[in-house]
Amino acid sequence: MTVHLIVFGAYFTVLFAIGWMSLRSTHSESDYWIAGGKLGWLVGGATLAATHCSAGTFVGTVGVMHSVGWSFGWLVLFIPVSYWFLAAVLAPRFTRQREMTLPAFIETRYYGKGVRGLAAVIILIATVVYIQAQILAGGLIANVILGIPMTWGMIGFTVVLIVYTMVGGMIAVVYTDLVQLVVMTLGAILGAPLALSALGGLGETLRYAEVVNPLTFTWEAMPPTLLFTIALAFALGTVATPEKLVRLYAMKDMRTIRRGVLLAIVFATAINLLVFIVALAASVLFPVLPTGDLAMPLVARSALPPILGSILLAAITAAMMSTVDSLLIVAGSALSHDIYGSLFAAHASPGRRNLINRAGVALVGSAPLVLLLSGIGEGELVQFIVLLFTALMGASFFAPVVLGVFWRRATREGATAAMLGGVTATFLWKLFGSEAIDPVLPGFLCSTALLFGVSLATPPPPAAALEPYFGSSPSSES
Amino acid sequence: PFGLFLIFGLLVGAYLVWMYWVERRR
Repeated sequence: MTVHLIVFGAYFTVLFAIGWMSLRSTHSESDYWIAGGKLGWLVGGATLAATHCSAGTFVGTVGVMHSVGWSFGWLVLFIPVSYWFLAAVLAPRFTRQREMTLPAFIETRYYGKGVRGLAAVIILIATVVYIQAQILAGGLIANVILGIPMTWGMIGFTVVLIVYTMVGGMIAVVYTDLVQLVVMTLGAILGAPLALSALGGLGETLRYAEVVNPLTFTWEAMPPTLLFTIALAFALGTVATPEKLVRLYAMKDMRTIRRGVLLAIVFATAINLLVFIVALAASVLFPVLPTGDLAMPLVARSALPPILGSILLAAITAAMMSTVDSLLIVAGSALSHDIYGSLFAAHASPGRRNLINRAGVALVGSAPLVLLLSGIGEGELVQFIVLLFTALMGASFFAPVVLGVFWRRATREGATAAMLGGVTATFLWKLFGSEAIDPVLPGFLCSTALLFGVSLATPPPPAAALEPYFGSSPSSES
Repeated sequence: PFGLFLIFGLLVGAYLVWMYWVERRR
């Protein structure tokens, strides 16, 4: 307990120190939102990987490994494939003109402030609700480790996250992400062998796993066809999320992006695979598990050797924080840069913008906590939107972003219809559609069809909107 | 038992080949 307090105290001190140092190198709005667009491949790749791995990576897998078996693990192969698509297909055109946010790209390509505002509102709502779930997981972790009430844990994590993100902006986020990725990687690299040796090695663990659940190493529980549609859903949601796209703007050039994305692929996939091995061992140690999110913290505390439990809990904490700080930047920029800044305060002085930007981060950071404390947080609607978060992102933004940089004829009206239609179709499918198909697929098909149909029925885009992406003189390609 | 590790390795290898190819042809 005392040791845990000291470790957490030291950990948070490091995060605050990085936040303070980042403040000193933040001189412009571009520094604050995209780290000045100067990131190298190491920090750029590390922040992609750290953002990708969330609390769900660690918390959800034990239960799934238990009920489905190892074939679920094949889902991780969507990571190399979809990140390759990001670096090889989308990035060369998407980064031709550097913007500070995804809605800013939407305004440049789709020549309208309304369509930018719509994108920002979708991002803002989905992100705030998603942060709620992560903060709830943080409260659970604090309760398990420190024995304090969950509410205190949620308040504590929120305060720490808001302080270093608000003060240091994107520069603080990427350097703390690097630290948190090291913590996660150490947790996974130390955790897997420790968990296996508790059972007498890899061979023994695999044998026990088959005894506990004979279907562990078959395709029965999760047929490849279902795996494929789920992987496709994850891929659509991964490529088109604002927190991934904005990192392309934060990296220096295409050469850097190719290397950074490779680093992210290796680390994100390897961490996932090692966590699966820990989960496999845990499912043997704990044949009867409490379901849901409690499993991993409980396993970490009671079934595994104490040192391994602490390492894993630190890794879960790092995974949660490195995802939330990135979402704070995305939601904060949607509120202050895209909605307030572009619609109401377009001519504000740099000092005033500075204030608005930091107020935006503080506001979107405290909103999830306020919602949780007022009891709106644990309702079914939150769980519903969390499950839908990647689906909503994939359905709203994949078509406008990817087709926008490949198809000259895509229009403002088409993009508006695609975003609204994608969100609507995703929700309707989740409510009334078949359980066997992930809602992102109908959402994505609907938004793509609307983008094509409505674009062809409306006047073509002006030349100025196409010049940055289809013109002969790319401004920042290398 | 569990090909998953093999294919992950192959995909990372393929990425390296693609990166080498795309930077050589310029």
